[in-house]
Amino acid sequence: MVPKLLEAENLTMNFYTYEGVVQALDRINLNVREGEILGLVGETGCGKSVTALSILRLIRPPGRIEEGKVNFRLKNRFAASKRDINLLDQDEAFMQKVRGNEISMIFQEPSEALNPVYSVGDQISEAFLLHRKEELCQVVLKRIEQDIKKDGFFLTRAILKMERGIYLKMMEKPRSSSLKFLSCIPGVRRYRRRLLEEAKRRSIEMLRILGIPHPEGVVMRYPHELSGGMQQRVVIAMALACNPTLLIADEPTSNLDVTIQAQILDLVRKLKKEFGSSILFITHDLGVVAEMCEKVVVMYAGHIAEVAPVHSLFKKPLHPYTQGLLKSVPRPGRKDRLQSIKGSVPNLISPPSGCRFHPRCPRVMHKCSDAKPALRETEKNRFVACYLYHKERDKDDA
Amino acid sequence: MKTLKSKLASWDELKKSLKPRVEELKFSLHRIKRSPLSLVGLSLILLFAAVAILAPQLAPPKHPYEPYNIPRYGYSAEPRPPSAEHIFGTTEGQYDVYYGVIWGTRTAFRIGFMVVGATFLIGLVLGSIAGYYGGLFDEVIMRVVDIFMSIPTLILAMALVTALGHSLDNVMKALIIVGWPIYARLIRGDILRVREEDYVSAARAVGCSSPLIIIKHVLPNSIYPMVIMASLDVGAVVLVAAALSFLGLGAPVGYADWGQMVSFARNWIVGPPQSPLAYWHTITIPGLFMLFFVLGWNLLGDAFRDILDPRLRRR
Amino acid sequence: MEMRAYIIRRLLLLFIVLFGVSILVFGILSLFSPEQRASVFITDVKQLRDIQGIIKKYGLDAPIQVQYYNWMKALFRGDLGWSKTAQRPALEALFHFLPNTLELALFSAPLIVLVGIWLGSVSAVHQDKVIDHTTRTLAIIGWSLPTFWFGLMLLMIFYGYFRGFLPPETLSMKASLYVKSAEFARYTRINTIDALLNGQLWIFLDALRHLILPVITLTVVQCALVMRIMRSSMLEVLGRGYITTARAKGADENRVVKKHARRNALIPVITVSGWLVASLVHGVVITETIFSRKGLGWWWARAAIQLDIPAVLCAVLFNGVLFVVTNLVVDLLYVYIDPRVRLR
Repeated sequence: MVPKLLEAENLTMNFYTYEGVVQALDRINLNVREGEILGLVGETGCGKSVTALSILRLIRPPGRIEEGKVNFRLKNRFAASKRDINLLDQDEAFMQKVRGNEISMIFQEPSEALNPVYSVGDQISEAFLLHRKEELCQVVLKRIEQDIKKDGFFLTRAILKMERGIYLKMMEKPRSSSLKFLSCIPGVRRYRRRLLEEAKRRSIEMLRILGIPHPEGVVMRYPHELSGGMQQRVVIAMALACNPTLLIADEPTSNLDVTIQAQILDLVRKLKKEFGSSILFITHDLGVVAEMCEKVVVMYAGHIAEVAPVHSLFKKPLHPYTQGLLKSVPRPGRKDRLQSIKGSVPNLISPPSGCRFHPRCPRVMHKCSDAKPALRETEKNRFVACYLYHKERDKDDA
Repeated sequence: MKTLKSKLASWDELKKSLKPRVEELKFSLHRIKRSPLSLVGLSLILLFAAVAILAPQLAPPKHPYEPYNIPRYGYSAEPRPPSAEHIFGTTEGQYDVYYGVIWGTRTAFRIGFMVVGATFLIGLVLGSIAGYYGGLFDEVIMRVVDIFMSIPTLILAMALVTALGHSLDNVMKALIIVGWPIYARLIRGDILRVREEDYVSAARAVGCSSPLIIIKHVLPNSIYPMVIMASLDVGAVVLVAAALSFLGLGAPVGYADWGQMVSFARNWIVGPPQSPLAYWHTITIPGLFMLFFVLGWNLLGDAFRDILDPRLRRR
Repeated sequence: MEMRAYIIRRLLLLFIVLFGVSILVFGILSLFSPEQRASVFITDVKQLRDIQGIIKKYGLDAPIQVQYYNWMKALFRGDLGWSKTAQRPALEALFHFLPNTLELALFSAPLIVLVGIWLGSVSAVHQDKVIDHTTRTLAIIGWSLPTFWFGLMLLMIFYGYFRGFLPPETLSMKASLYVKSAEFARYTRINTIDALLNGQLWIFLDALRHLILPVITLTVVQCALVMRIMRSSMLEVLGRGYITTARAKGADENRVVKKHARRNALIPVITVSGWLVASLVHGVVITETIFSRKGLGWWWARAAIQLDIPAVLCAVLFNGVLFVVTNLVVDLLYVYIDPRVRLR
């Protein structure tokens, strides 16, 4: 059995607003196994993005994670005592080492995700500078050594030796205050040049891997000078720069043209093979799910409705919500009328009791409004949160 | 029976359609309640308004036809400290400070409302013409706006007052001449922006006529920044007018105007060596009145901005 | 190359705006009656009898275009008229009073910008906490302060109550005598700088002591404006997508604020620089009057009181030029900070 990489248990999250407490996530459970592409599907507002942000602990007030666990298996990139940890227990400094390094995230609107006043190269380099400083320093030190050997003039050799000293210091204590002080002095700042150059070299390489033509030129460009597809590739480059174990993609193609969308999806698939990351792919587009994902989680109004391998889900959806979803998707060749799910998405300030879908469910039963149905395994690898499939409970009324 | 039922039905419908507006109003009130600063601003303004309205009662004028002339209680130059008969003391030339600040409130309101009211209207009209008709109107009006806005208000007002003569009325005229461009630019910018919005195109698509579009769609959206600007402007205008009076360019000596009263105090900043703060009342009291008046309007303007601007309402 | 063409284009705009300003100035001039304008040329009471003659002599009754043409001609010759408050030609008076004002501006402007930006930034990052409420309250009080009253209050306390601790005017008696003497070389005519260049530390400190109150008076009001703009701009920026991205990359909050947010937040602050300069001019006029610092503001205020027309017109003209130059600098700053702005 492929081990679990990420597991969210009973994750609950609320937003405290003027109108009331929005119960955005209610005891959700999901897991991503190593090497798999998990799709997270649901309508707008069902809590998909919020789940992703909760995993990375990027939720800010008025939102708050109330309870739950998010277990994650580290690849031991940085000195951590255990490999399996609960992300919700860690302090902020630890999370900063995780973000962009072990778990990366890409967002929906690439033009918004990129900082307009810095070049694209700067932003990708930042990922390297934040998490791969030691490696960069090692490379720089090797180059300095080479330069020292080549150089004869004593003055420049002295400068090079000083640079070597600085980089050695940087390797052992990257956040030292003396280094910070040095980086403030205009003339002395130049020592950072080598570091930035190496980071830039790697950024160019990332751009090349992402299929951007002429990466040496593109690396100096600003986000507004690039097309939407290129911007998204840059965002992906930033996310994959440090070879994360898990990539969370929050609707990365929803704002792009269909042709570009296809390119990006191909790219992501290719990169997954090359980099070996697992992906949590969040989308509302069932077509994308069918194409990209191996396993699918269906979410509704802060609850998990169903989890299944992608083919089984499409062939035989179990949860009434999933069934409704699939019936409402237009498909070429279908001649029958599109059926929409009656009713509308509930207000999460006062959500329906029990199963949140029960007011709209065509097969609702009395007990559906009592308590939230647990996510239970029905067939192999298929989980449903619906009383219709809880065989132990008998004597239910229609 | 039937008509009563139908009347009730239509009343219900009316209530339903008004419900979102009522909700928003309740939310606005909630925001006002939650923001102590806006309450402070509002209370300050109301307090000053009460003082202004009740001026004849609070400080009965000596000369009923010239209430703005501060009564003098003697002719000696040295100001006298607060006492039983003169609550706030007297300033240079024995002008009663209490009388001056009370009636000065009226002056302040007069200046603020008249100048801001006039500049608001002039700016609204000219800016709307420029924004709506565009073309030559726009070019000409905007060039005039640019030229006026290239000189700081105080300097231009100083120049105009020098030309027209030193008096409070001329100060107001000068401030009106100098003050309208900013409103014109505001409303013109907003009209241009709103013109391009989708909901205007939608209105036109359903057959809405141009003037109706302006009134129903453009103005309600564009008016907010102007209202906010106006409430902040009242304070600013009073400050500039006070500065001009202080310099001697505005109200004549002995007129009930806060700035003028502070100019009296210029010679009495430092008292005799044994009590250097002896004449504190000549400067502190009129100044505090000014400070709180302007503060009130600034707080109100800020509160308006936080509460009215649809984008900032819900943080 | 693009930059050069851009600057040239902006300088052309300068001339157009100056032309407009000159029309404005002349418009103001023509508000004065011919008698008032003739009075500028009178140095002796006896000449009052022949006021019509003077009017004719200086062409003050000619048609308006001719007057404008003559006035412009004089302008280009550098003749802005005689300022009776300064007792010298207006243009010369401008350069005479400039150093004191420059000194005040030199010490105030950096303070205003740096403190305002810093406070606004801190306030936004710690939104709704104690420090935010404190700075906002202080800012709004600062913005509501009548500059002249604040300055006078400061004088009352620090000069009156503390017995001459921080005095008005530019230099103490002893220092100003020394400065006027032959031993003191005046390079820039700015007291603080000249004192340093002459190696006379005591004069430098003396000038500094006289600068403290005016600078505080000037700074507090303007700082409030900068702080408010910076705060609201920073709040808006902190809600943008690239901030979340930066956090998702693992940047610590310090870096997010300093590197990612600040630069973007500065853009609206630069936009209000024009307003800020105007506000500064206001402050300078009043501050110099109160503290009897003989600079441009002091001169203009006296000119307005004494109906010194050439000086007043000089003020308008100078400020027009200042405005255009400020706009040019602002535009260049935009280009430097915001890559989305292209030099068209």
